Amino acid sequence: MSETVIKDPIEPGAASKPGARLNLLLSLTLLGLLLLLWAALAVSTDTFLTVNNLTNLMRQATIWAVIAIGQTFVIITAGIDLSVGTVLGFSGVVISLLLQAKFSIWLAVLVTLLVGVAIGMFHAFGVIKLGLPPFIMTLATLTALRGIGLLMTNGSSISITNDAFTSFSRGGLLGIPNLFWMVILVAIPSFVFLHLSRWGRYLFAIGSNPEAARLSGVNVQAMLYVAYTLSATFAAFAGILTTSRIGIGNATTGQGWELQSIASSVIGGTSLFGAVGSIPGPLLGSILLTTINNGANLLNVNPFWQLIITGGLIIVIVYFDQLRRRKR
Amino acid sequence: MPATDHGDRPAPQGGSGASGPLLELRGLDKRFTGTHALKSVSLAFERGEIHAIVGENGAGKSTLIKLLTGVHLRSAGEIIWDGRRVPMTGPQEALALGINAVHQEVVLCPHLTVAANLFLGNEHARFGLLRGRRMVRDAQHTLDSLGFRIRADAVLSTLTIGQQQLVATARAALRGTRFLIFDEPTAYLTRQEAAQLFALIRRLKGDGITIVYISHRLEEVFELADRVSILRDGALISTHRIDEIDEQGLIRGMSNRSIEQIYYRETVPRGARLLETRGLTGQGFADVSLTVDRGEIVGLYGLIGAGRSEFVQSVFGRHHATAGSVLWQEKPVTIRSEKQAIALGIALVPESRRDQGLCLNLGVGLNLNLAIYGRLTRGLTISRGAEAAEADRQIRDLRIVTLSRNTLVASLSGGNQQKIVVGKWLNHGAELFIFDEPTVGVDVGTKLEIYRLIARLLRDGAGIILISSYLPEVYELADTLHVFRRGRLVASHGHRQASVETILTEAIGV
Repeated sequence: MSETVIKDPIEPGAASKPGARLNLLLSLTLLGLLLLLWAALAVSTDTFLTVNNLTNLMRQATIWAVIAIGQTFVIITAGIDLSVGTVLGFSGVVISLLLQAKFSIWLAVLVTLLVGVAIGMFHAFGVIKLGLPPFIMTLATLTALRGIGLLMTNGSSISITNDAFTSFSRGGLLGIPNLFWMVILVAIPSFVFLHLSRWGRYLFAIGSNPEAARLSGVNVQAMLYVAYTLSATFAAFAGILTTSRIGIGNATTGQGWELQSIASSVIGGTSLFGAVGSIPGPLLGSILLTTINNGANLLNVNPFWQLIITGGLIIVIVYFDQLRRRKR
Repeated sequence: MPATDHGDRPAPQGGSGASGPLLELRGLDKRFTGTHALKSVSLAFERGEIHAIVGENGAGKSTLIKLLTGVHLRSAGEIIWDGRRVPMTGPQEALALGINAVHQEVVLCPHLTVAANLFLGNEHARFGLLRGRRMVRDAQHTLDSLGFRIRADAVLSTLTIGQQQLVATARAALRGTRFLIFDEPTAYLTRQEAAQLFALIRRLKGDGITIVYISHRLEEVFELADRVSILRDGALISTHRIDEIDEQGLIRGMSNRSIEQIYYRETVPRGARLLETRGLTGQGFADVSLTVDRGEIVGLYGLIGAGRSEFVQSVFGRHHATAGSVLWQEKPVTIRSEKQAIALGIALVPESRRDQGLCLNLGVGLNLNLAIYGRLTRGLTISRGAEAAEADRQIRDLRIVTLSRNTLVASLSGGNQQKIVVGKWLNHGAELFIFDEPTVGVDVGTKLEIYRLIARLLRDGAGIILISSYLPEVYELADTLHVFRRGRLVASHGHRQASVETILTEAIGV
């Protein structure tokens, strides 16, 4: 009978239109929650509202935001990229070895990003040509790349002696840490790509119904290559930033951050069923997660509790998000 | 099926004995927020009858089923089962009474065996361990006794959809069921599979089970039912003995329209030649020669597997032809891909618009524009003004009923969804439209909308290929009707030139 009368309660995520009012609304509530947290922390601790702490928070948020944005492209196509944490650590190893070999910074950065591109293409190749589920394909590279990184470094850390490279992450411009500028550098083109260009529309269409997209003349395979390549390249970029920040390249850096990126994206309103998501979403999601970590540290909360709080928060936020969608 | 065969539980004990209707509804009423879905329906189902219920989408059929199976709670009215008033507060209660339903889509576990599915939730076990071999043996016995040629140890997904539907029916009938509801069970079945299902339904009736049969296919209603009730806009219009009413009467009751009004057709002057195939041969069809002109509806009729779909898919570039030639606007072309077909101006409106035609959880505008975003892009970004204007123009032109261009396609009616599939190609400049079973599973009102849409396309100078397994549809609409049998074009007729019997004979090949 009519779809208007009986609502299907398990209708997967549904947004009126990518980037439209719903996402704005969602971003606003998330923003509200974030401001509330900040206000609470500012009142309850002396240390939160210090330049030192805020720049620190922004630096960490940057790195998570970059991988979460990349992840979002893939999730919108109804895929998933589990390898971003490993790619981040692996590219740290790559760039530190390159710098050790006296490559110039720019060349080292370029080569590392190209490594990211290659990894992303390989993911898309596995998903499209070999027909592997994205979960499996990226789980495999998660494991394998970790091993390759450990082999290349014999399991040890490589210290960076290039001061110009490490000082970048400590520097700032107009009172804002360099690293935070980097997230702007990533987020604005990403926004244009996802919300304003036709390729963004195609990603949503593929996530909703790849067959309909294909029959409409969309080059589905090429778009999937783009999505996975963006995710891996963003992860490599985040790896470069992390290495600059901590001054060492280590294959185990970024372990577990794939889950941070997925959580940030989902908290930001992305649907794991595909076809729903935005760029502001993962950005706010990652800042929120970073704030929780940061605040818990300042309040001397047992780090084990932080994990529990984060987990609980994911359930609550996504539940409310789905509730809101269902009402529409 | 013998209700006593495998039920663990004895058949529910009737309260006041075996006279009077098995199930009676008195003033059954259901309101959802903002909708009055069922308006005080009073209806009695006699013991051992097959009672068909017909009505358009939104007439209240699904609501009625959901109230009877305990999925929804009624707003008002009484349900009297076997002479006793019952609360009917949940699905468990309905099952315990012996009320069960078989749905349009098979709701079983595709990875389990037939036996495991038959006994799911009701397994034979000893000391907590499954008695697998015994279940397979019992299941096989049941299947054999019903005359199905299905192995009980086969994995369900290896069966055809029709066989799966039979398993679902057997399962629903197994456990002391006395009242069985079929909700469009043949929507995805071939003719032969449907015939097998009908045999099973008659057999269940013979065992004394009361059957409620819901279908859009009126010919099935006449083939199967003892009585038929018509619902319209949530209200019961009338109930008839099947020999007291004809198809015209049913349609008038359901839609307030006559059959001539349904098969809406305009005669449009023929224009230039759009498509010509000469001796086209490929996988599943051979030596097909036909033409399509502007302003012409070319109907392709044949049984499932007769080669008409394969032929069109080849024209659309999905499968390669191995011999013969294709002329597009009188110039020879070789169509190697769907992309190329689309670029030429051929559009395929696929049989399954939900699977192949639409992004359901995205907006109307995005779906309408999906094929033309290249044209809407200025520099790097989409011109949002042009995007909105293009979508709104289509919504207006095609009279798509939607709140806005941002409304999700999933929330639209079937007819409006079909308009969006067509609108997407109009935008793209398509001139030849291939409709593959455009009215499967849609109600009479929606059909009319789709036929009006086809007429509109003709008026605008398009050519149409219409594929249908439903003979009246192609018979009434097509200017030229080609009959396919075993991969070959065996006969061609002008509009209403041959009799329905002739065409059927040609298609079956007796």
